[in-house]
Amino acid sequence: MDFGRCDCPVDKGVLAMVVFKPAAGTPFLFSIFEFIFLVGNMNLVKPELTEVNIGFIPLTDCAPIVVAARMGFDKKYGISINLHKESSWAAIRDKLISGDLHAAHALYGMVYGAELGIGGQQKDMAVLMTLNHNGQGITLSNQLKTLGITNGTELSRLLKQYPAKLTFAQTFPTGTHAMWLYYWLASHDIDPLHDIKTTVVPPPQMVANLSSGNVAGYCAGEPWNARAVYDNVGFTVATSQDIWADHPEKVLGVTAEFADVYPQTCRAMVMAILEACRYLDVLANRTQVTDLLAGPDYVNAPKAVIHDRFVGSYDNGNGKKWQDANAIKFFNDGKVNFPYLSDGMWFMTQFKRWGLLKSAPDYLEVAKKVNRIDIYQGAAMAMDVSIPSNVMRASRLIDGVIWDGSDPDAYANRFSIRA
Amino acid sequence: MLLVMLVDDDVARTAPLKQSLTDAGYQVIAHLSSTANLDDAVRELQPDIVIIDTDSPSRDTLENLCVMNETVPKPILMFTHDGDIQKMREATKVGVSAYVVGDLASESLMPVINAAIVRFEEVKFLREELDETKQKLAERKVLEKAKGLLMKEHGFDEDHAYAMLRSVAMRQNKRISVLAKEVIETATRLF
Repeated sequence: MDFGRCDCPVDKGVLAMVVFKPAAGTPFLFSIFEFIFLVGNMNLVKPELTEVNIGFIPLTDCAPIVVAARMGFDKKYGISINLHKESSWAAIRDKLISGDLHAAHALYGMVYGAELGIGGQQKDMAVLMTLNHNGQGITLSNQLKTLGITNGTELSRLLKQYPAKLTFAQTFPTGTHAMWLYYWLASHDIDPLHDIKTTVVPPPQMVANLSSGNVAGYCAGEPWNARAVYDNVGFTVATSQDIWADHPEKVLGVTAEFADVYPQTCRAMVMAILEACRYLDVLANRTQVTDLLAGPDYVNAPKAVIHDRFVGSYDNGNGKKWQDANAIKFFNDGKVNFPYLSDGMWFMTQFKRWGLLKSAPDYLEVAKKVNRIDIYQGAAMAMDVSIPSNVMRASRLIDGVIWDGSDPDAYANRFSIRA
Repeated sequence: MLLVMLVDDDVARTAPLKQSLTDAGYQVIAHLSSTANLDDAVRELQPDIVIIDTDSPSRDTLENLCVMNETVPKPILMFTHDGDIQKMREATKVGVSAYVVGDLASESLMPVINAAIVRFEEVKFLREELDETKQKLAERKVLEKAKGLLMKEHGFDEDHAYAMLRSVAMRQNKRISVLAKEVIETATRLF
């Protein structure tokens, strides 16, 4: 157990007692008693802030933050969450940096983009926990379907013959959807930097852009892929879990400065949101949460559009229906939430691959600095949530390539399609 | 001459800004709504500065242009230019975000930003004033309705009904509009 970061006076007082008491006799019994007392007391260390402003983007995967705030999990851990609905990822990033937001539902890659100064001011950032795995997707237009395109291989064949470049949309240049789109295209021998045009479209406008023909396809979070099927303008050609089963997606992001100045507030936020994640992984609870999310204050979409994929019931809009074992996960016995270093490093390998980084960063050092395993562990331990023994995890992606965090630069350079 | 592009759905806010920038000798080359095709507009028109509403969803489209292409606008977080985080907070608070191409010196940039801040601030003030007036008007309507109810149910005249509401509100330590609303709600439940 690492108490090194606890600079709170309450902890110091208790530690001093642990040292003092055993000298009075029966050292063994007392030390166990004091140890229990100490662990119990750690939970009582008050957050430095009682109100926290947390930003989110209206997507199904903002659920952990909304649930923590609306179902009172925040109060249980001594904080009160003020929810701030934002209209762009850029606004989330800027408001974190300016301090208008204390924390946010953030694209994993975007936090690393800010840390590395890609596209804007460099700012030291922190990832406190992962909010979800899976639950994003790639949609193609029904115009492509009428041309006989139903999968990546056929799309690739079409693009090789097609005279003009088709436009595909994602949601943020350093975001997760950009990376899933590029990875999926490249796994089908399509170079996202040369064979197509890419743009960013705000997710609620994706379907309109698809039906007007401005874009031929897009990668976005749910419910915006389900929405295209519901409105009969597109079909889901791949889910993000097809690309990488149990991929990291959104995180709880703060600035490094915030994490250093308000460690107990961070711990309280992680605890409240972890409890929300555990609640959300009970599928039966998701119907009620759908009612909450569908409202105008949150996702602002029909319940039917949110609900089905939220509970794993998929219809790809092209004749295939299935129950997805890897639909959106929020907890999975804590495996979702642990900020694995290999997850953070993966986004840096892709930034390098696509030329967003001109030279290799110190992958491991950056990930160790950004992913605050110390804060996460403190919160998870206090809640009796399992903590993985390894800070890396191994996954096989859609192209069969294994990522385990062991040699990031070799991994970044191994792909034949790259910048 | 600096070429400025404005992106905002609020014409009332950006029209005066456009005017004051034109008066100050800037060329406002485009005034677009947030659903316009920003990719093409920026590539074709090549602005030096894009001023955009902080809360516009299209900001992410500009971010993508910045990162994927060297010759298009970069976001400016204003404190990087003048070392003053207050300036950036002030700007984002009233809703100004700016993107700039290349290494435009802050001396040539600041007047544009300042003009935008002033204009956005004015509209924000007007809007708040409007909200307040609307709120007052709504409260007034509720009060009239509650008075009417009391007059009808108890045969009070208007002055008596008002005096009644005011004294109960004072006794219960709540605003008269809040009490009036409660009176209406209770009446709706009862009758």
